[in-house]
Amino acid sequence: MNQEAKTGSGAVIGLDVGTSRVVAIRQADGQRTARAELNAFLSIPWSGMTEASLHRESIPLVVRGGEILVIGNESARLADLLGRELRRPMMRGMLNPDEPEGLELIRAILRSVLEPEVTAGAKVRFSVPSPPLSGESSLTFHEASLRRILEDLGYPDAAGVNEGVAVIYSELWESNYTGIGISFGGGLCNAALAYLSVPALAFSVPKAGDFIDASAAAVAGELVNRVRLVKEEQFHFNGNYGDKIQQALAVYYDDMIHSVVAGLRQALQNCRSLPRFGRPLPLVLSGGGVLPEGFRERFEKALAEAQLPVPISEVRLARHPLAATAEGALAAALSE
Amino acid sequence: MPVERPRLERLEAALLMWRARRVSDPIERLRLLRRACRGAMAGTAAGARGNGARVRRMLAVAGAILMLLLPLGAVRQGAPERVQASEGIPFASAVSQAAPDVWLVEQQPGYELYSNGLRIERQYETEGEPRSYEVYARGREELGPVEERTVPAGIVYHSTESATAEFRADQASRLKLLGRYLLRYVREERAYHYLIDRFGRVWRIVRESDAANHAGYSVWADDRWTYVNLNWSFLGVSVEGQSAAAAPGGEITRAQILALRQLTEMLRARYGIAPANCVTHAQVSVNPSNRQAGYHYDWATRFPFAALGLPDNYRIPVPSLWLFGFTYDPSLVNLTGESYWQGLVLGEDFLRQSAAARGMPVEEYRAERAAVHRRILSRLKSRMERAGEAAGGQSP
Repeated sequence: MNQEAKTGSGAVIGLDVGTSRVVAIRQADGQRTARAELNAFLSIPWSGMTEASLHRESIPLVVRGGEILVIGNESARLADLLGRELRRPMMRGMLNPDEPEGLELIRAILRSVLEPEVTAGAKVRFSVPSPPLSGESSLTFHEASLRRILEDLGYPDAAGVNEGVAVIYSELWESNYTGIGISFGGGLCNAALAYLSVPALAFSVPKAGDFIDASAAAVAGELVNRVRLVKEEQFHFNGNYGDKIQQALAVYYDDMIHSVVAGLRQALQNCRSLPRFGRPLPLVLSGGGVLPEGFRERFEKALAEAQLPVPISEVRLARHPLAATAEGALAAALSE
Repeated sequence: MPVERPRLERLEAALLMWRARRVSDPIERLRLLRRACRGAMAGTAAGARGNGARVRRMLAVAGAILMLLLPLGAVRQGAPERVQASEGIPFASAVSQAAPDVWLVEQQPGYELYSNGLRIERQYETEGEPRSYEVYARGREELGPVEERTVPAGIVYHSTESATAEFRADQASRLKLLGRYLLRYVREERAYHYLIDRFGRVWRIVRESDAANHAGYSVWADDRWTYVNLNWSFLGVSVEGQSAAAAPGGEITRAQILALRQLTEMLRARYGIAPANCVTHAQVSVNPSNRQAGYHYDWATRFPFAALGLPDNYRIPVPSLWLFGFTYDPSLVNLTGESYWQGLVLGEDFLRQSAAARGMPVEEYRAERAAVHRRILSRLKSRMERAGEAAGGQSP
């Protein structure tokens, strides 16, 4: 038994608090379990019958004034059914200041994935984004708010782990946690470079899944939610796109990839004293953004064109792209 | 742009990488690296940007720490692979220390008094089977035993891990009562040669000339010899209490540590025991069924070697790992301190070195060493059965 790492309930939790999804991986008594919820909600008018129906289906919800806020995975299904747009408690990797109910909603979503009634007291390490390359951005409010919510839910031992570093902790053990990890999320792309587990640089690019969805929706004249479903269920990089939505998605996907590669190049060039690595670095890609077929090849091509100042040995996808950040956060918790 | 780092810094980084590659469990490897680099890990996202200089400073510190932690010779990663393992692998006992000068002052039926202040209580003294054991040449165990001896070669430190009362004045009667029960029990079991109670009184249980049942499945080796089943070859010294007490009051007392030091000095003086042969139960115990070391956890961490005038023997590469191919459960690492953890990892390293020296895959070599251990156990069993028959049908 890992006595050092376990606390409270005996469980240790790695938590990926992403703009579009929240993933929790729990380890207790040598067993791992994962839970994921869409980090989104849908507002529908309140009625007693609607609320009772949703409760009967065990759909997570919050009743606020005259509306019902359906949260998590079911919100997307209902939004598509009702032809409505989803709303997000987070934007660009951080708590969304334009959503006044954001804190309460994120709390409800965290409650749903963490199940505090059985895991309260566990050590939790949660992902936090990097500041953008373009300038300083205050992560303090975001990180402190999440920590406070987790404390309220019964997790006093909660701390943040950089998202890009978490990808490295999840995937790059064979290279002694030396290499580059990039998470292509909903609100941000987070990249980090670590040397022997120590972060040497980390940054984020604000062009990510939401940017692709919104931009493609504007061009195609479609609902963002509709574009997102097309992206997740049909889109792939093969050069022959059957409709306007897929064409637009390809354009903005390329834009995102080139922005991340350019950001990586800039960050490496601006870093005044990088460690001397001695050998080419592995680069691992994770997050929901990497799921379309052909993404890795597209990224590799952009990387070759950019000519980074450090050689790259391989570009590969994470074993579980949607869970890599949470797995890395769990590794961070277990290795303390 | 990347800057050229000094050669020493690169060596430190290489050393850290070398150490990490020998840890097969990803979480343990990450723990090693993060612990070594803890100074540079403070902060999260904001601290991660432009961290190159910090990484370099960290490496200098981590390298220095690792250099201090590793036993002499363990850093010889580039050592020629054709060196015979038994000769080429360094061992901590090469740093010999003269045994203290302690002599018997007074001997009475109820006690013995020694020149260093040690007083041994004899009211619970009993006999066991007369000590007689075989030793093997270290690294050549497959050739069979090379000597038969009757003098103890070392000391194994135990803790009773028994429940006890909090060490407070108002608990004195209860502490004494529990101590008496424990003495009776360990006497019946012939569990140790010595037991040190909570007040620091040293009780002789089994006579030093006899074997006690303190570490049956066990392995140790010094710079020349290998010992299997330390019931026969080592003296068992136990302290009443819990070696890693979680609750306040269960800790080993100052009086016990003082007594432990005096007893160690006397035994080392009497038998010329090398400091490196004064080790803890967790270091020597093995489980032949699952082929894992660290079967017993007492004194897996925090044994006060320094307070006893001994080197930090936790750092000695664990012999059962590299001589007989035992493995260890990663959970053992979590129970150990840094030093014993080093001993475990280095024990595994030495096994790999030995396999490389013979041009064998590690697992094949491990299986070969396991077979040697099984043959020794089989031989020991036959030997004890014969001794039992000679003693009148009772197996010792």
